[in-house]
Amino acid sequence: MKPILTLQNVSKQYGDKTVLNDVTLDIYPGQVIGYIGPNGAGKSTTVKILTGVIQDYTGTVLLNGVDIKEDILALKQMIGYVPELADIYDLLTPNEYLHFVGALYHMPDALIKERSGRILKAFGLQDNIDQRMDRFSKGMRQKVLLTSGLLHNPEIVILDEPMSGLDANAVIVVKELLQVLKQEGKTIFYCSHMMDVVERVSDRIVLIDKGTIIANGTIEALRAGSDSSLEKIFAQMTTGENLNATAGDIAAAMKG
Amino acid sequence: MNKVLLFLILLPKGLWRMLGADVAQLRAVLGAKLMLDDRRPMAMGKGQGAKKKPFKFMTALSVLISVVIGFMYIIPLMMTDKFMGLWLYFTVFLLMLSFMLISDFSTVLFDKRDNSILLPRPVNERTLLLSRLLHMFIYLFRIVFPMSLAGWVVLGYAKGWAAALWFPVMILQLTVIALFLVNACYLMILRFAKPGRFKDIINYFQIAFSVLFFACVYLMPRAMNNTDFQEMKHTDYAWAVYTPTYWLSAAWSWIETDKLSAATKWISILAIVGPLLLVWLIVKYLSPSFAKRIGNIDDERTEGKAEEGATIAVTAVAKKDKLYLKLAALLNKNPLSKAGFIIAWLQTTRSRNFKMRVYPTFAYVPVYFVYLISQSKKPLSEVWEGLPQSSTHILLLYMTSFIVLQLLSMLVYSDQYKASWVYYSSPIARPGDVMVGAFKGVWLKYFIPMFAVVSGFVFWVWGIGSLLDIALAFINITLLALSVLRIAYRRLPFSAMERMNEKGNRFFKTMFVMILPMGLGFGHYWTTITPWLWWMKLVFILLSSILLWLLWDSYKHTSWDEVKKVDLSS
Repeated sequence: MKPILTLQNVSKQYGDKTVLNDVTLDIYPGQVIGYIGPNGAGKSTTVKILTGVIQDYTGTVLLNGVDIKEDILALKQMIGYVPELADIYDLLTPNEYLHFVGALYHMPDALIKERSGRILKAFGLQDNIDQRMDRFSKGMRQKVLLTSGLLHNPEIVILDEPMSGLDANAVIVVKELLQVLKQEGKTIFYCSHMMDVVERVSDRIVLIDKGTIIANGTIEALRAGSDSSLEKIFAQMTTGENLNATAGDIAAAMKG
Repeated sequence: MNKVLLFLILLPKGLWRMLGADVAQLRAVLGAKLMLDDRRPMAMGKGQGAKKKPFKFMTALSVLISVVIGFMYIIPLMMTDKFMGLWLYFTVFLLMLSFMLISDFSTVLFDKRDNSILLPRPVNERTLLLSRLLHMFIYLFRIVFPMSLAGWVVLGYAKGWAAALWFPVMILQLTVIALFLVNACYLMILRFAKPGRFKDIINYFQIAFSVLFFACVYLMPRAMNNTDFQEMKHTDYAWAVYTPTYWLSAAWSWIETDKLSAATKWISILAIVGPLLLVWLIVKYLSPSFAKRIGNIDDERTEGKAEEGATIAVTAVAKKDKLYLKLAALLNKNPLSKAGFIIAWLQTTRSRNFKMRVYPTFAYVPVYFVYLISQSKKPLSEVWEGLPQSSTHILLLYMTSFIVLQLLSMLVYSDQYKASWVYYSSPIARPGDVMVGAFKGVWLKYFIPMFAVVSGFVFWVWGIGSLLDIALAFINITLLALSVLRIAYRRLPFSAMERMNEKGNRFFKTMFVMILPMGLGFGHYWTTITPWLWWMKLVFILLSSILLWLLWDSYKHTSWDEVKKVDLSS
């Protein structure tokens, strides 16, 4: 099988700081990639490169074997992006915002209305569709962002912490949604700190730290025969410290 | 300055303890509040200062500004009718103080952070109440004292020690009246407006304040040169007797007995009794009702966040108004242009920052116009009669371009610029399509209605001969707008953060860009003052239209390489 997306020696610097360092990665169609790493590891930068938001990187990103810089619009048309608690024009209502986003994908009004109405209803936002989002909770905004990312029925779905701020029921809905999208053959690139979800839904887990990929494989391969959870593997690989001892230090400081 | 104020206010520690406050906590709360005041931009500078790095000495600056504003009030004191001058002085003072309090005070009064920061702490109610009251007192003191300084010195110098001693009493009474007006105003807003609209209405007060301030600065010194104004007499305005500031002026009879009639002396009693009555009204009725309603606002803010599935009315946007959708569809064939038109229309309708910075510029046009035509010492009636013979209408028509720079900068700069990520992740082949739609949106919504009103006035005064001028001015100003947009603001709508260090650079760019249309404007004026050159107007219309078409086409074809992008990496 040919990869749908390929990163070849991709690097990105902000001033003197290297955020991504020679990242090489293949993403195959229909796969769910769990992309994990500590804060500041380079996850969001990778996502922004994959979505065409950042274009001044070195290295190559291929979509179906073609450099995305040659036809960035083809990539953007295929991708549905849900950023982590992203800024949103919150003076608009969900209805207005989704019509605005849909128009950017050249979707007809009737289709936007039909799809957005159905997705928002599934998220329980049907009564809030004509209310301004400046008074929405984090979770409600996140649901609108999820809707905006899925509205044009993308082939590749890139989710950056999609469950931030969601309530327990919505988390269940999104977990199930990931499964359904996977069954429909969508390619999913999923960044998260929620290790249990990553462990459960991902076909392959990619661990990035300090801009470099330090692990890439199935959960079984990462465990390497042990029965460790992904959480433990993550802690070992990214800090190498005993986190229980750190917690003990904090508790001791409170008493002292 | 804050440290001195805090030290002075906490001197009577015993008194505060007796009233049930914890002095250490009171100092901590007041200290934090004063520090916050220091770092908060003032109402009149909000447009420019919001979200910027705070100025370290905001308190000192606000005191200085208040002193300068105080100088502006004393202009009427030079009038021939001293009573009239005093009445105008108190009236302007009262109006400005009330507007300033409504504009600025609301953020102090309705600081919702108190709920999460102070209420969960072990601070008793008396301490909280006292901290709020003392904070208000300091706040008022910082405005009223420096603002009254100029009047105090002038009247004290002119009328002697009795006036110098009497003046602060009058200012105290005036402050009470202002407090009453502000309280009553807040209550009216809270009573008749939905809680979610409260901030919007305060926003309109801020806009009105900035217009009032601007009008005072420009028109008051000008008025002093006008003989009509100088000779105004209080006896010509019978209704003035019902205004509290008239009572305050009348109260000068206590120190200047020879200048006032018996009736005025009697009225002066109201200056003392009236404010006392108002204090009673504030304490007895307004404050409790006010506190209760503020409580409701707080509840609404913390609990009333839109719940999923719940239909709350406060921020619901009525479905009825779909005019913008019809216009968007009518004026834009390209769906990207349509999206640009709609986002520009909706964002500008709802953004407080936009309103704060753009709406006052509408008022600047008539204020500047009156300022310019009242330059001579002639009575206004004579100036008015001579208008149709002048070429002032050209000036008036081109004055509408004041709005252009502010309008266009607010079309690209936004506090929510990070939300523009959506443009970069969408398959937009040519950003110019979105940009051109957004320009159409704001031009249709803001510039064209204002230009229509001004053109209507010009047509009414200058007659049918002004039609060519109206047409040429419209084309030239649109040309100017597109030139500015093309050179200085070539960005996607609401996609950029305003940086101070870009301002200077942009200013020179804008000035450079404006040379061309300004040249056209002067050409226009020249054809008007030289009647036999009227046909040149037709030539100018043709030339400007060609330029406009070329510029429009270039702006519409803006590519991703040409558009200025915002850094969304963080």
